[in-house]
Formats: sequence, structure tokens, C-alpha cells
Amino acid sequence: MATISEMYDVGWEEMRDKLRKWREDNCRNSEQIVDVGEELISEHASKLGDDVWIIYEQVMIAALDCSRDDLALTCLQELRKQFPDSHRVKRLSGMRLETNTQEKRKISILKAQGKNAEAIRELNEYLEQFVGDQEAWHELSELYINEHDYGKAAFCLEELMMTNPHNHLYCEQYAEVKYTQGGLENLELSRKYFAQALRLNNRNMRALFGLYMSASHIAASPKVSAKVKKDNMKYASWAATQINRAYKLAGRGTKESKCSMKAVEEMLESMQITMS
Amino acid sequence: MGEVELSCRAYVKMYLHACLFPRCGINGLLLSSGSAGGAVCVTDCVPLLHSHLPLAPISQLALTQVDVWCSQTQQRIVGYYQANACVSDSSPTPCALKIADKISEQFDNAVLLMLDGGKMTADYRLPPIVVYERRDSRWLLKDKHTIMLRHWEETQAIAGQMLESGDQALLVDFDSHLDDITKDWTNQKLNSKIAELASPANGNI
Repeated sequence: MATISEMYDVGWEEMRDKLRKWREDNCRNSEQIVDVGEELISEHASKLGDDVWIIYEQVMIAALDCSRDDLALTCLQELRKQFPDSHRVKRLSGMRLETNTQEKRKISILKAQGKNAEAIRELNEYLEQFVGDQEAWHELSELYINEHDYGKAAFCLEELMMTNPHNHLYCEQYAEVKYTQGGLENLELSRKYFAQALRLNNRNMRALFGLYMSASHIAASPKVSAKVKKDNMKYASWAATQINRAYKLAGRGTKESKCSMKAVEEMLESMQITMS
Repeated sequence: MGEVELSCRAYVKMYLHACLFPRCGINGLLLSSGSAGGAVCVTDCVPLLHSHLPLAPISQLALTQVDVWCSQTQQRIVGYYQANACVSDSSPTPCALKIADKISEQFDNAVLLMLDGGKMTADYRLPPIVVYERRDSRWLLKDKHTIMLRHWEETQAIAGQMLESGDQALLVDFDSHLDDITKDWTNQKLNSKIAELASPANGNI
């Protein structure tokens, strides 16, 4: 999996500055702080000078928020070693103990027993207290999807997208939920979010196929204006080209994936025939 | 309604799919390379998803792609399989019924197969499957005597052996294919391995 510095082409100084900005602005984007902070402290701790301690504190708090207890403990241990008698560090210690692991265990058990409705209720209560717990929001969205409650699933994903604007997976999942809900308005939303996911990660194949399918369906709808039809056919056509290109690149080498490629080609052709 | 025969290859791949994603709902399509009349012979399967089973776009995409592949390879989609995340519940979910309905629009004797997670323990004797067929617009339990797994003990042994060797890691479902499109959802490599393990004396297994 790519590092933050690889994905966004940033150096450790920019990552450090980003963390500082988030501290100063009191941002609640815990997942981002964890992503950036974890990489910074594991790869560049020695370069950070005295900043490292406030970064450990910042990352620790964000880690608790994201139920990353492993990371929270690492940070806490470093702080304890450096500041053995500090009241501030004792307070952080207390924060960690308060994190409701009992509650989460109960929710896991309910899920394993298939008691989705109860798990949903418990998770909602949990999130009222720990509103920054990304994993919990995502679990809740999955539960709602399995209960076919797409409206509420969309709400959870909206929450996740708001706090994690760079995460292409949340955009793409949101788009899938909208597509599933159906209707022209939802299809148009789904196309927009598939496109957004692609902007964030141009190799997300689900987003690419999703863009193709949603644009094709919109173009085929009798309810849209000629302009909307034309625009969506353009998007669909662009997506089809990208899909073909991606499969051609993939096919170069293994003969098995040629099966997939041929199937995709034919599928795109047949879908176009029905869409026109 | 008619008989259904489940081949070793189809069973082993479904089994490995369920083992690869033990805490997830998984699903897939059942295929046949046999002729349309008479008993339904499920000769192969295509594992599809291990996440977000009820969501439409990827399911639609997968169905279309498998359909096209089938027409290129003289196969047809004859059924659907699913294993639920919760092992104590092997009843078909709304999304299972929906997809199975779609399949039965194209194939009269389509089957819906649920893997019973509760029965997939090391010492189970019978196939851990529950099969449904469509009668009077509803999906009803199929008579057990019309479901055949030839060479069941050998099939079970192969499945167990491959699980022990960790071969489920070789299985590619449609979800995994979308994560890395160089991976082959037709699972040719796995098919070869299964064929190797099946005793040559049994011929067309």
C-alpha cells in the first residue's frame, strides 16, 4: 500500500506543517491525522526535534478517536518515557482508558449473532459519544446496506466523506448506494461521485465502471434533455475508453485476463447498443 | 422439478470462497456447460462478491460480464450461491432472491444455493448446502433426493486438502478482480489444481 508521501508527493516537512495547521485550526479529521502522523513518526521522528512530543500527543488523541489503540499506546509510551511525572501525560492516559472497548465488543458480538437491528442501535448510541470513530461510522454504513436502508447508509458515508475528503473509497461507496437507490436524481448524484472518486484515484476500477454505467443509464433515460443526454454519452464514452485501455494494459502478459478483456469489450459493445 | 448435479469443481470453489472470507457474506454464480434439457449439471461457478452484496452497480456489472464470458465459452448461468456472514442463518436474503429471480428469467430450472456456515466444520459428513428452486413464483426448498454430488467423499477430501494447503488464497472473486484487474476471475489456475487432485479414474468430475 502506498505511503502518504508517495500518494500525495509530499515530503516530511509538509506533513509536519500539515499537522501543525490542523492543531492550530482545531480540526477534527482524526483519520487524516492518524494517516499522516503515523507515517511521520515511524519514518521521520528523529528529524522532528522538539515538535515530536506535541505530535505524539496529537496523533494519540486522533488514534483513540479512530479506535487505533495500538497506535495510541505507542504514542503514550513515548510520552511517558520522556515526561514521566507529567500531569498532562497522566490525563492522556486516562483518556485512553475511557475509550469504550466494552461497548465495541458488545457490538461485534451482536453482529456475529446476526442481530443487525440491535447492533445498529448500539452503534448509533456509541457514535453519539465517539463521533470521530471512522471505523464505527463505516461499520454502521455496512450494517445499513445489509438491511437495505440505503438512505441511512448514505448518511453515514456523507459523514465519512466530510471528515475524509481525500478518501476515494468513501466517494465510490456513496456513489454505489445512490445508484442502488435508483431514480434519475440519484443516478446523476452517483455519476458525480463516481467521477469524484476517479479524481482522487484514477485507478479505481469500480468508480470507472460505475461512471460508465450511471452515465449510460442517464443518457438512455427518456426524461433527460438533449444536452444532458449528449453530455452523459460523452462521459460514458470516455469511461469506456479508459476501461478498454486499463484492460489492454492488464492483458499484456497473462493469457487468462484476456478472457476478462474480451468479456469487457463485448459487454461495453452490447451495453452501447441498448443505450443508443 | 428436475435433478441438480453439483460438480467437484463448482463445490470446491464455493467452499474455498466461503473459507477465504469467513466473516463476510459472499456470493457467486453457478454455471453449466451441459445441454439445456434434463438434469441441471452445475459444472463450474464464478465467485463474485465478498462485500456490499446488496449494492447494484457491481452486481449488475458482474452478471453482464459473466454472461458474455459464458456465451463465448458455451456455458450458461444456471444458478446463484450465497453464504451469509452470520453462520447461524442460512436463509436467502432479499438480494439473493432478487438475483436468483433475474437468473430464472433466462433459465427455467435455475437454482438458489445457500451455503450453511454452521455445517462447514471439519467433521461434517453431508454437503453443507441448502438448495432452493422456483415454484409458483416463490423459492422453495428442493427435495434433497434430487440434489446429487457424485463422488462426495472425494470432493470433500479435495476441499479439505486445498484448505489445509492454503489454496483459498489463490481464489479470485469479482471483487478481488476489480481491486487488481490482472487477476483472473475465471480461476483457471485453481481449476487446474482441482483437476489434478481429482483422481483420473473418475473422468469428468
